[in-house]
Amino acid sequence: MKKGMIKATDAFERIVHWSLAISCIVLMISGLGMMFHSLNFLAVPVGGLKNLKLIHNFTGLFFIASLFFAVLMWWREAGVFEFPEDAEWIKVAGGYLWHVDSVPEVGKYNPGQKMFFLAVAIFGAAMAVSGLMMWFPLSFGAGLVRFMYFLHALGFVVIFAFFFVHLYLGTIGSPGSLPAMTSGWVTRAWLMKQHPKWLKETEHKGRLVVYGKEPAPREGQGHHA
Amino acid sequence: MKGTDFVKLIDTTRCTACRGCQVACKQWNEMPGLRTRNRGSYQNPPDLEWNTWTLVRFQEHENGDGVLQWLFRKDGCMHCTDAGCVKVCPSGALFYTEFGTVGIDRTKCIGCKECLFACPFEVPKYDRATDKVFKCDLCYTRLREGLLPACVKSCPTGALTFGAVDTMLKTAYARVEDLKQDGHPDANVYGDKFVGGTHVLYVLGEKPEIYDSLPQKPAVPLTVIAWKDFLKPLSLLAAGGVILGSFLHYIIHGPKSPDENGDRDAT
Amino acid sequence: MTNHYIDLKNSDCILIMGSNAAEHHPIAFKWILRAKEQNGATLIHVDPRFTRTSARCDFHVPLRSGTDIAFLGGMIRYIIENEKYFRDYVVHYTNASFIVSPDFHFKDGLFSGYDAEKRKYNKDTWVFEKDSRGIPKRDMTLNHPRCVFQLLKDHYSRYTLDKVSSITGVTKENLLRVYKAYSATGVPDKAGTECYALGWTHHTTGSQNIRTMSIIQLLLGNMGICGGGVNALRGEPNVQGSTDHAILYNILPGYLKMPAASLDTLEKYLGKNTPKSNDPQSANYYQNYPNFFVSFLKALFDDKGTAENGFGYSWLPKLDDGAAYSLMHLFDKMYDGKVKGLFVVGTDPAVSSPNANKVRKALENLEWMVCENIFDNETHCFWKGPGVDPGKIKTEVFLLPASASMEKEGSQSNSGRWVQWKYKAAEAPGDAAAVGELTIRIMAAIKELYAREGGAYPDPVLNLKWDYIDKNGKYDALKVAKQINGHFLRDTTIGDKTFKRDQMVPSFGMLQSDGSTSGGNWLMSGSFTADGFNNMEKRGKDDPTGLGLFPNWSFCWPVNRRIIYNRASCDLNGKPFNPKRKLLEWTGEKWVGDVPDGPWPPQADKEKGKYPFIMKPDGLGAIFGPGMAEGPFPEHYEPLESPLTVNPMSGQRINPAIEFFNGEMDKVASADEKFPYVCTSYSCTEHWCSGALTRWQAWLLEMQPELYVEIGEKLAIEKGIRNGQRVKVSSARGEVSCIAMVTKRFKPFQVEGKTVHQVGLPFNYGWLFPKDGGDSTNLLTPTIGDANTFCPEYKAFMVNVTRI
Repeated sequence: MKKGMIKATDAFERIVHWSLAISCIVLMISGLGMMFHSLNFLAVPVGGLKNLKLIHNFTGLFFIASLFFAVLMWWREAGVFEFPEDAEWIKVAGGYLWHVDSVPEVGKYNPGQKMFFLAVAIFGAAMAVSGLMMWFPLSFGAGLVRFMYFLHALGFVVIFAFFFVHLYLGTIGSPGSLPAMTSGWVTRAWLMKQHPKWLKETEHKGRLVVYGKEPAPREGQGHHA
Repeated sequence: MKGTDFVKLIDTTRCTACRGCQVACKQWNEMPGLRTRNRGSYQNPPDLEWNTWTLVRFQEHENGDGVLQWLFRKDGCMHCTDAGCVKVCPSGALFYTEFGTVGIDRTKCIGCKECLFACPFEVPKYDRATDKVFKCDLCYTRLREGLLPACVKSCPTGALTFGAVDTMLKTAYARVEDLKQDGHPDANVYGDKFVGGTHVLYVLGEKPEIYDSLPQKPAVPLTVIAWKDFLKPLSLLAAGGVILGSFLHYIIHGPKSPDENGDRDAT
Repeated sequence: MTNHYIDLKNSDCILIMGSNAAEHHPIAFKWILRAKEQNGATLIHVDPRFTRTSARCDFHVPLRSGTDIAFLGGMIRYIIENEKYFRDYVVHYTNASFIVSPDFHFKDGLFSGYDAEKRKYNKDTWVFEKDSRGIPKRDMTLNHPRCVFQLLKDHYSRYTLDKVSSITGVTKENLLRVYKAYSATGVPDKAGTECYALGWTHHTTGSQNIRTMSIIQLLLGNMGICGGGVNALRGEPNVQGSTDHAILYNILPGYLKMPAASLDTLEKYLGKNTPKSNDPQSANYYQNYPNFFVSFLKALFDDKGTAENGFGYSWLPKLDDGAAYSLMHLFDKMYDGKVKGLFVVGTDPAVSSPNANKVRKALENLEWMVCENIFDNETHCFWKGPGVDPGKIKTEVFLLPASASMEKEGSQSNSGRWVQWKYKAAEAPGDAAAVGELTIRIMAAIKELYAREGGAYPDPVLNLKWDYIDKNGKYDALKVAKQINGHFLRDTTIGDKTFKRDQMVPSFGMLQSDGSTSGGNWLMSGSFTADGFNNMEKRGKDDPTGLGLFPNWSFCWPVNRRIIYNRASCDLNGKPFNPKRKLLEWTGEKWVGDVPDGPWPPQADKEKGKYPFIMKPDGLGAIFGPGMAEGPFPEHYEPLESPLTVNPMSGQRINPAIEFFNGEMDKVASADEKFPYVCTSYSCTEHWCSGALTRWQAWLLEMQPELYVEIGEKLAIEKGIRNGQRVKVSSARGEVSCIAMVTKRFKPFQVEGKTVHQVGLPFNYGWLFPKDGGDSTNLLTPTIGDANTFCPEYKAFMVNVTRI
């Protein structure tokens, strides 16, 4: 690791992220296997659709737990829009879609990420509630259950789409992002591009952890903030 | 409904509620009789159950003139042309047969219960012990051997008949005409005007709204249609759009790479 | 049935009264529905309760249990007053024109000759005036004041609409509706039929209920025609067969009379039971009684019965004169400790007999009991029943496993008198054997015992022919059937036909009284052809008349006649009254159509012609019926237990000819405020009789799981009873706990100015199984029965209903 890399996330954060990510992927794959007859073959490796259903249901529980921690951890940083900078950022679409000379500086998470977080949080919760009710539908009224099927499908549409956005921007669409969720160490350049405001504030507070430098005198950063 | 389809006609005005059909169904399908209680009605079990695929409903009804009627209606799967249950079934356990009826292959059923709520008639029933869903398949095994459904075979009064769709529709409408002549002005055919036409038709002596547990305008629930006909393709469309968009973004706009000088402190 | 099930489709008006046809004859009911659909027949249901039958009828008329005679009496009055009767038929085919003895009278509910002490009638005055030739005098104008028609008119003139409505609780509007619709069949081209079952027979006036309807049918010309008749819908598939073959104490096979002790010789017996007629136009077919009876004796005793020993007549058991031996008498005697042993074969009297508490107590007095059944039941297990200490019971009980009907070959007779041969469908499980097999083995062992050890009177046992086993030593149903049909015991020539020894008797007309023929049941002669072909096996589906007679489907007694008294369907010259339904027609040489009631020309032929009702001594339909215990005209009497203290019709509150049982457990509470509601008992489609067979069947039990009492909404409100709630129903004799089924289908009656509620319970449950299904409804019913048949009163008694 090069000197000067900056620690953007701690281990807990990354564990939650990947729990969420993996459960989400499993849920999507198993869900797709049940949603489309043409994808029923996805159940073959697990020994049939019934097992796929069980995997889907129990992964759902894992997803719910992950989501719970994710929301708990991120809702302040990623769940609340800051004005006016977030609005400014949105006006230029964060510079993703057309060239802008300078992208308004935003906090640790930009409004795009906040939107993604909110989508995951809201629709994830919707998936959790509707999923649980679909698991035990006999305890609820038919009208309610029917709505839950609709909600589950709607949530899927949103999350499935956002998943690919996230995948793209977390990898090739925004090079340098991936390490934030792998090792947790990112480059200053990437931070300057993506989260300049956070970089400056953290640095200003003296909480920035830089590889090869003495740790800051005061503890605490990341999700403990 | 296609011309090659078959239909079971239930003429409620000929039914004596002997419930031979209810027993014949259990006999052919090897469904057990379970211990029930009398709840103050002849109707027993109280509703369709996983082990009761057809049930005669008993209903005391006094019309406007105070004339008492005891209405009997054999309830069970209506075998819709546009069947909500088939629409939602993830495993293909529920399927359209070559007779136009809705069959069920329980080896494929995964117990997801989605069909329970997709059915406008609330027909499919779930059994916890086997984690499977059960419903009438209009004796698919018998039909394939050229036999009548067990219920039809058992019916002594001719309240249940079975045949090609056109014939049965004609029979049903002719019967309704007869009934109208014979003091049943509200007689009607129920089943051919919704969900693409059901493969179980009723001749009702009274208006449909008079009968217990009989939907007046049954339809596959809107939520199911939104889910299966709209959101399901949309999910692929949206995801596909995103992937395509990302690709275009990558090749047109390029990735959002860190600025060269942004790394100035990295030493 | 005088007609048969399929013939119901030929009717123009079907009165279902005393029957819940749709629930208890669900298969046959299709013919009733067909009558409606094909002929536009009016279907009428008269019943205290709105049932599944009512649901399919054009209208339902509720009447208070036990008031059928009043209801029908009103109809007779209506028919006569409005001249709805079929005059030609009444004049020529009934005894309406006969002149009755001047000594006959009717006063305040009693006919002449009543002995209040014996509760019996001396019937000497119930006779016709005869001319010098000994033929009853007639007035073909029907105007003679003592002719049957005028007496009938007088008798029923008292049954006014107001009176009948007040007794029965039927509104006048409803009465007129039924009377009008039904009496419209009193024209030549219309047919009305009546279907009854236990709702008529289960009364102290059961036989007279049916008699009243017979009178109506004769007045309207509905007897002997397609779509007409008085039709008993029998219950179990073979209940007709069991009656034909003498399941009742007072008859021998073929409805021959059981001998009384005073008739100690064959001559006396035949003299008493062979009717005579001096009218040359009366066929008086029962003049052949000796042929039937001697052939029956020959079937029993074969070559042991000779002309010299009266063909073994003295070996037959005899009834004490005037004594009855019905089910109720049997248990009454048993209760008094006078019966030591009992065979219980395919029955469950601890559930099905009236006053079941008494029956259960009576069983404790037995030394032994042999039971044959396919399931265990409450009778077999009486020794461990509710409140019984098995340690104190000394009765030794044997339960022999019997096979079910599908597990044996044999004949089965339906209500339409069709005797159909059937085959074994499956082997019986375990040691189970046909009841016939058990009987054969037990009797063989008894014969052996008597042969070895002798006994008080071994002759009947030792002389009994008992050769009904096949090569393998098993019971042979076919051999029994052939014995029943009868065969020639020696080469015989009858008319121009010669029969060899051992050939089958092809019809009862060939039976002889000289000992040359044997025949176990004369009605069944012809069930085989002379050459031994089994007619009961026939399954021909041809219907040459188009009337649904199906003459080549099985055998129908008598002599394959599908509708009895069928000559009455034609006018005096043999032309059908209704050309659209030609049941029979005289071509000038012979009858074509159904098998006619005898080959003779129609009545107009004064030399050779015969009257149509050939089984009646006078050859005519009996509007005046002196054979009945309580009078030649049916009269309304209140049930033993009723809500009324007096009979609104007369000073005789109850049937004057019924026999009382006065044991300590035979309590009666009539018009008693403690038991204010009329109660009736019945069966349901899902169970059969005591439920001893059907309660073990999970599919059936699931549909009707436990005892319930149906009560009207008004009464439920009055008593604070909710639907589905557990309640207690009690009578003077016992009580049952059951579920209240609050229903619109029972409505209160207005009887003699007061509101009378009626409730009803099925009698299909017993304590043995299911354990929580409730006990027998017959814990409530009284030990009382019809004056002629002792058929118990299950249909009208008084109870209370209370919340638990």
